[in-house]
Amino acid sequence: MNRREFIQCAAILAAGSAVVPTAWSMSHEQHRFLAAEDSYISHKSLTLFSDQQRAVVKVIVDLIIPATDTPGAIDAGSDRFIELMVADWFTTQERDYFLNGLNNLLVQNEGFISRSAAGQIKLLEQLEDDASGSAWFDFGNTTRVWDSGAPFICQFKELTVLGFLLSEVGSQQVLRPNPMGSFKGDIPLLETDVSYAAELPMRLDLAGM
Amino acid sequence: MVNQEFDAIVVGSGISGGWAAKELCERGLKVLVLERGKDIRHGMDYKGEHARAFQLPFYGMPNRQRNDSEYPIQSTNYAFSDANIQYWNNDKDNPYVQTEDKPFEWVRADVVGGRSLLWGRQTYRFSEQDFKANSVDNVGIPWPVEYQDIAPWYSYVEKFIGVSGEAEGLAELPDSEFLPAMEYFALEKTIKGRLKKKLPDITLTMGRAAILTQNHKGRGACHYCGPCQRGCSTGSYFSSQSSTLPAARATGNLTLLPNQVVESLAHDETGSRITGVRTVDSESGERKLYTAKIFFMCASTIGTAQILLNSASHLYPNGLANKSGALGKYLMDHLQLVHMGMFADNTDAYYQGNRPNGLYIPRFRNVGEQDSDTDFIRGYGYQCHSFRPDWQNSFNKKGFGVAYKESLTKPMDLWIWATAAFIECLPTESNQVTLHANKKDRFGIPQVVTQFDWEDNARKLASDSATQAEKIMRAAGALYYQTGDTENLVKGGSGVHEMGTARMGDDPSKAVLNKHNQAHGIDNLFVTDGSFMTSASCVNPSLTYMAFTARACAYAVEQFKAGKFNA
Repeated sequence: MNRREFIQCAAILAAGSAVVPTAWSMSHEQHRFLAAEDSYISHKSLTLFSDQQRAVVKVIVDLIIPATDTPGAIDAGSDRFIELMVADWFTTQERDYFLNGLNNLLVQNEGFISRSAAGQIKLLEQLEDDASGSAWFDFGNTTRVWDSGAPFICQFKELTVLGFLLSEVGSQQVLRPNPMGSFKGDIPLLETDVSYAAELPMRLDLAGM
Repeated sequence: MVNQEFDAIVVGSGISGGWAAKELCERGLKVLVLERGKDIRHGMDYKGEHARAFQLPFYGMPNRQRNDSEYPIQSTNYAFSDANIQYWNNDKDNPYVQTEDKPFEWVRADVVGGRSLLWGRQTYRFSEQDFKANSVDNVGIPWPVEYQDIAPWYSYVEKFIGVSGEAEGLAELPDSEFLPAMEYFALEKTIKGRLKKKLPDITLTMGRAAILTQNHKGRGACHYCGPCQRGCSTGSYFSSQSSTLPAARATGNLTLLPNQVVESLAHDETGSRITGVRTVDSESGERKLYTAKIFFMCASTIGTAQILLNSASHLYPNGLANKSGALGKYLMDHLQLVHMGMFADNTDAYYQGNRPNGLYIPRFRNVGEQDSDTDFIRGYGYQCHSFRPDWQNSFNKKGFGVAYKESLTKPMDLWIWATAAFIECLPTESNQVTLHANKKDRFGIPQVVTQFDWEDNARKLASDSATQAEKIMRAAGALYYQTGDTENLVKGGSGVHEMGTARMGDDPSKAVLNKHNQAHGIDNLFVTDGSFMTSASCVNPSLTYMAFTARACAYAVEQFKAGKFNA
């Protein structure tokens, strides 16, 4: 973690620890509340990727986070999340950069989709090795809003994880909601316990700091 | 609707305005509250309460393009997100001018209830030493009150708002009227034990917070969902929406009008009485004059200064109530500097529920008398936060498949404990707000110009906070620690504790207000938001605004009932 990242992280921490609400019984009047909304990925339609791009994105998110005894990235809709974020959240420049990365992967690796899973992973590992020097891997470099210059494979992975663990499925079936109602500051963390789901992504744009 | 006569007008409905409304209404006055923000209802309009990340646009990732164009200042605040965006001021619609190289970030709400919905809820009394500091140090002007004058009003306010915390019996941080304190994390107990042995002069106590740990005066105990700043329908943290405005309404004496931007105040031909408030309706553009006998300015430190400066007249060419020339000057904030340590202790311990509060280390430098090893005056306290890192802090690693997935689901084998120094800042004439000569806002009101820089003493305190944090982190047993950057300090205003632009003092040639928060020379004008503050202490100031507001209201009503404000 470098100094700047440290400060970013620390600023968020100082502002108050991450928090995790769980389901809350709602009155009729509260039904228009955000807490009553469908998931972001379920009420937006996909218009950016080609069928081919969509298919390869699905393959890669599944390789990064497969279903095991808990749901995987496809179950959580990481592929939908990626397409929506690239379409609506990225700047034009970021979008071009990402689509270029995706197309390079397809062009340089003809038949990627039809390869064996082992062969696909080998290729992804190669891409990650090539990206080794990137600051994206620095310890604690996680609280910046977005690293526009990070290698394509790193950006892809980051979006996959966000789309997985912030999702309705990932936050409730892979992680767990932190139950509200009371506060206990010191309870055992069992071997089998997973982390609590996040209330918000821990990101803060501190460009002015 | 508003044909009735009002005894009093309160400008602003935030922490101070809510208290003024409650106290004046309960003491029998007919009160009009004018709020520039939109109307929202307690509970019913807390739209983001309990929403989960997946229900927010982009799963809650900051909407950079919108934030850059419409909320460039507000979005730098930790509490800002799409889950509560409706509470915040739109920076594009409400511009002000920052002085180059002397920036000041003006964090503002834009709803009924103001920043009482968004505040950090930390609640500390000023000490006897704080009220004496200016006269002892010969800095600024002396406070016209002592701790003893305010102590009963602290109690009065605390009993109503509900403050959870631990009694410590410290002169430098007087105890409040406490509800039970919140629980410690395991790591915090470990650290507390180590500090007690190795640094016995340092107190580590549970944060004192205006958050209920048990049911209190019709409001529910905290349910520990976490992000208070989205609004709390159970009223578990103090806001004017949950607490003072309902109390004011219950008297039948309150009229509250949202969307009323106050342009200026009008005075009589002698200049010794305010006669009315000139407003612009933010939706219709309609301009009006509201009249009353008493006027309470609770529009926030910068807002109040702007209104008074814009009320200049032939009798007050430099701004209303500004014969002293102090109006708009001596703007203060608290300088924050964050130090952070990593701990390998108690990794087998976890927690349940989200505690919207941390620990506190009260000021220990220059307490009682000046420390011999310091070349600075005053001090700082640390607000401490414990945090268990997880996938959000560790996803950026290599690997694909099952092992990578598993590594994301467990908390990391460490805790982080951050100590954020809140540093006292001295009243400095050049730190100020003025009105721009020709730039106006969408209502035709001159824009505020801010100018702010951390003074030398605050900079020395910042360095010392790093030196002392190092000692504390070592004693606490940190595996690794890093102190904050003392060269590149945060911008002024980022502490959101702005205060001081209409300071109080006995000498009318140096102060805007007297010891009753009453303008020198204008006996029916009271200012009780942060602008009255003569010095800043290092503790969070909201409780002090509340106590002075309640005290000023009692005095004003006494005067009113004695017929002092008749003709």
